[in-house]
Amino acid sequence: MVQTADKIAEEIQAIFNSDKPWVAIVWDDPVNLMIYVTYVLMKIFGYSRKRATELMLKVHNEGKAVVSTGSREEMERDVARLHKYGLLATLQRSDESL
Amino acid sequence: MTAGELGFSRHGEHTYVANFQEAQRQVLINLAEQIIELLSERTDHASDDPIAAMVGITVHDSPPDDEVLLRLLPDAYADGVDAAEFRRYTESVLRNEKQAHAMSMRAQLKSSEDGSIELEHEGARAWLGTVNDFRLALGVRLKIEKRTHEELERLAPDDPLRGVYLVYSWLGWLQESLLEALMDEDEN
Repeated sequence: MVQTADKIAEEIQAIFNSDKPWVAIVWDDPVNLMIYVTYVLMKIFGYSRKRATELMLKVHNEGKAVVSTGSREEMERDVARLHKYGLLATLQRSDESL
Repeated sequence: MTAGELGFSRHGEHTYVANFQEAQRQVLINLAEQIIELLSERTDHASDDPIAAMVGITVHDSPPDDEVLLRLLPDAYADGVDAAEFRRYTESVLRNEKQAHAMSMRAQLKSSEDGSIELEHEGARAWLGTVNDFRLALGVRLKIEKRTHEELERLAPDDPLRGVYLVYSWLGWLQESLLEALMDEDEN
């Protein structure tokens, strides 16, 4: 029950903090080809090849990268699309530590 | 399975063509069948909620026990409660879509007895995702996380994983040929 109460408190807080955006994060994995990750970022977000390549390299070198920012609903949609392509992706509040 | 043969190439606008040898065609059909089977209704942790089932909400919200399935249907949140909630509303959609793509790929391969495959733009996107699912699945079985490519290259000829690794490498090469055809077109 404690968890549920925490959850409700969190939701209430979220309503009052709705200007605080959420982020979608792509995590590095050893299987997806670098060119594939670049292609997926271009297709889903309409990024240029240069921008998508920069993000892909950040994922590859740093283990993760924020690829998109917006409301929670928008980030849930983006993560669902990333999962469709087989990328490891999660969403969280932008002020949570990565 | 050597990377000497042609993979996909672009023929005109939005058309991508490949010619598979019989052994390659059979490998792809076999992989599609395994993925279709794997993505069928989950039997682990199934709960019985007829109302949820009626409105299309997946009846389970826990991550899959099977490592390959978990890689194909990953958690969207680090937090377990949020991840379960997200999974409850989205997992069946993702599973059905991946399965539908694998089914269309299998149908194309089965109807092409000479191994020639011609894809339009949308078909190419479906193939790209499904070939990636194959690689993700084989990658889990090969424990790519823990083994280096050098270790995998050195597998003994009689090691059962050696064949898996050859297929995995070939799929990467095939996927890359399709990506290059797609990206080449986007840029022109």
